[in-house]
Order: sequence, then structure tokens, then C-alpha cells
Amino acid sequence: MPHPASEPAPGTFERGLVLFIHEVHKVVGKSAARFEDAYRDGWMPTLAKGSEARLLWYFDLAHGSGLAYRVITVTAVEDGAAWARLAERLAGGDLQSWARHLDGLQHESHGRIMTPLEWSPSIGLLPEISGDPGVHEPTMYMEDTMWPHPGKVGEYIEKSGDVYRRSLGAEGSRMHMSIELSLQTVPGAGRYPEVTLLQKLSALPPLIHLLINDIPPEVTGPGSWMHEALELRDQWRSKLLRTAVWSPLQ
Amino acid sequence: MLFMHETHKVIGRHASAFEDLFRDEWMGALARGEGARLLWYLNHAMGSGPAYQVVTITAVSDGAAWEALARRTLAGDLSELASRLEACRYEVTGKMLAPVYWSALQKVDLAEMPADGREHELSVYMQDTGWPDAPLDDYIELWNHDYWQFMRKTPPDKKLLDIQACFQVAHGSGIRPEAILMQKIVNFSTLGGLLTNVEEYDPDTWPGSYMAKGLELRDQWESKLLRTSSWSPLW
Repeated sequence: MPHPASEPAPGTFERGLVLFIHEVHKVVGKSAARFEDAYRDGWMPTLAKGSEARLLWYFDLAHGSGLAYRVITVTAVEDGAAWARLAERLAGGDLQSWARHLDGLQHESHGRIMTPLEWSPSIGLLPEISGDPGVHEPTMYMEDTMWPHPGKVGEYIEKSGDVYRRSLGAEGSRMHMSIELSLQTVPGAGRYPEVTLLQKLSALPPLIHLLINDIPPEVTGPGSWMHEALELRDQWRSKLLRTAVWSPLQ
Repeated sequence: MLFMHETHKVIGRHASAFEDLFRDEWMGALARGEGARLLWYLNHAMGSGPAYQVVTITAVSDGAAWEALARRTLAGDLSELASRLEACRYEVTGKMLAPVYWSALQKVDLAEMPADGREHELSVYMQDTGWPDAPLDDYIELWNHDYWQFMRKTPPDKKLLDIQACFQVAHGSGIRPEAILMQKIVNFSTLGGLLTNVEEYDPDTWPGSYMAKGLELRDQWESKLLRTSSWSPLW
């Protein structure tokens, strides 16, 4: 899908490939509030002092839909060199004490570094993302992570943009949901092949309908995306995520 | 310098094709660029864990070099070859590693790393991965003070392992807290003793003191016995 020449192409920035650090934190339950404080009062404003990294989303995995006390954070860095500088700050620089503090508030975190698919919507320019975003109504997301069959990742990425993304945006779409960011794992920093879609829900009733009803045959039958995409993948996982009220992106 | 650690879950019937592609094409293709070289190609020793698993470790000079390699792999001159490798495996799991401050291995001279598939003897590594329930920095310090400092002074005839590198996971590319030791096995009879004997450790003398102190920081780790291929650049 071509992009206007005046806009930055998804995944690119002035100097390189925008990278997204996606982390799933297994938080110590009794320290959950302090964990959130560490991100809101520490990580987010610290990154905002520079121009090459920003916290984008702070999500809680919705209780009742999966594992308890799981937080997902998504941090963007402007390119590989900026990521390496951030990693050095955490391993032995000015952010080492913050990382040590966080070690006491989480059992562990699982991170992966991702880059946008060619057809992904753009998050805009990093320096324009606030490190002091104020308070908003929380927003629900459905995060889908797929593992295409061996040798099929390229075709899956292409068709998920051509078919799935368009179907979400079509008039009469069952799910009131839009893809905010579509990512794949960068080789060497996570499982590959793996594709993740961050999808914002604009209304809850369609989600509830999806949860409590069987999927109708017209959605799963021959010719449908659900049916045809089985040639490309049959394993994925959905997570229902709720933004923190202070999350920079909602 | 950063080290890209990848665990490949290979499709068994394509195991030879996978290794051939790595040796005959991927290793040389990396060497045609300036910022990355394959260091180790290791087979998880059958009989000690999962079947058809390969571990590769690739050195990249810095974050920009890793990004350049990723660009080549995803949409550049390596993408077609990457697709053929992908067709030979179920999946690959990667993490970017940074050497800890006391690691013997900090940098490698990329230009000096052989990429021509020259053959040599096989060697076996014990790769230990530990997950502390204490701050990661404290665990890395324990390994330095109570393990590495003693192991390096062990007389050669009593040595089981040569600790060649110690890494931590670079931010956001894997699990935190996690640290990794790459240890070359230098005495296979001592390894046999380790596997077959129940050791009674005295907590007041090393190595019992290390085992006791270690439990204060972690009780979960995993050892993998990895055997180099006959052409692995490091072995």
C-alpha cells in the first residue's frame, strides 16, 4: 500500500528503522502499583528528555481474560543504534539503578524487538509523543499474535494487509476495531516468524458478542479470511489489553 | 559489540539442508558485509535434550550493524536465502546478548573470523542460562566473585570447563533477569563424573560455598550440551 511522499513510511525514520520494544511483565502482585509508578514517573519522563525513544503504550492485561498481574509496555526507539544506546544505559549507565529497582517489582519480563509491516499505520514522529500525556479514559485493545507456517510469513503479511485489514475497515464490519500498529519480530530479538497486530476497539458490544456466540459459518466458510488464512497459519493468541489512564497512546 | 543468539527448531528431515545452507551460503553472505560474522554453529547434543535444535551465535559490531543485518534479512539481499532457511525450520527464537563487564569475551575481530567452512575437531560446550529471583546485577557479580574467579584458577588437569564468555540479555530482546555462560568442556571424563555421581557439597569450601550462596539468588537454571559442527568458526 503506497504512502504519500510527505509522510514518513511506517517503520522508517530519518536515520533508520523504527524499532518497537514489546515487553510482557510478570509483575509481583503486591508491588503492582509501584511497578506502574516506576513506568509513569521514571521510564516515561526519562525517555521524553531525549528525542530517540518514547514509551508508547502501558497496558494491563484485563483481569478475567488471562493471566493476572501482567503488564505490556511498548517502547519505540528511532533505530538500531538508539536501541543499543538505551540497552547500554540500562546495563551500566544512568538507567541501571532504575532497572535494578524494577527487578524487585517484577518476577520477569519477556521482551522482543519488532518492526512495522510495510502496510502498518504509522505512529508519527517520536519527538511529538508526549512524556506527560495527562489522564484519559482507558481504551481496550485486542492484541493478536500469529505464527505463520514455515515459509509462509511473507504471504501472510501481504494477505493480512490486503484482506484482513481491509475487512476491518469495511462498512458493516462485525468488529468495531482498527489496526493501530502491525509488527513482525526482528530477526535475533524474539521468535520468528511472528506477527503482532495491535487493534483498538471502538465499541465493546461487538467484542462481547464475539465472546459469547459461536462464530457464524459465513465468517469461517470457504472464501472467508478465516478459512483461506488457514493455509498460512492456524496458531495465534489474542490478548485483551486495557490502557493505563496515563498511557501516552490510547 | 553485540551477540545474536538464535535457537533454531529445525525440521528433522531438513536438518542436513539447513546446515548446508548455513555453511555454504549464510556464513559467506554475512562475511561479505562488514558488521556481522557467524561465530558458533552448535548442535544440541542428542540424548541430552530436544532433538534437531541448533544454536547459532553471530557477532555484530553494534546496534546499527544489527539493524543493517535485519534490513538485509527482511527485505534485502539476504531475504531469499532467509526464506530458504525458514523453510527448513519450524521457528527460530533469538535474543541479543551483551558481554558482562568481567566476561573474557568482549569483542572479536570480525575480519579475522573464518568464513570458508574449514574443518576441525568437534568440541562441546555447556551453555548455562540462569534466571535469578534477585536483581540481575547481583547474580552477575556472584558469577564473577564466586564462580569465574575460582574456575580460572583451577589447575588444567582438574578443569572441567573453560568459561569463555558471560552475557546478559540486551534490553527488550529476551528475558530479564537472565544471564548466560558459554563454557567449553575441556575434560570429558570429568563431565562423565558430573553426570553420574551424586555430589555432596561442603557449604564451607568451594565449590560447595558457591552452590550454597547461589541458592540465595536463584534456584532455576538450565544447562545445554552443545556440540560444534566441524566447520563452526569458533570451536
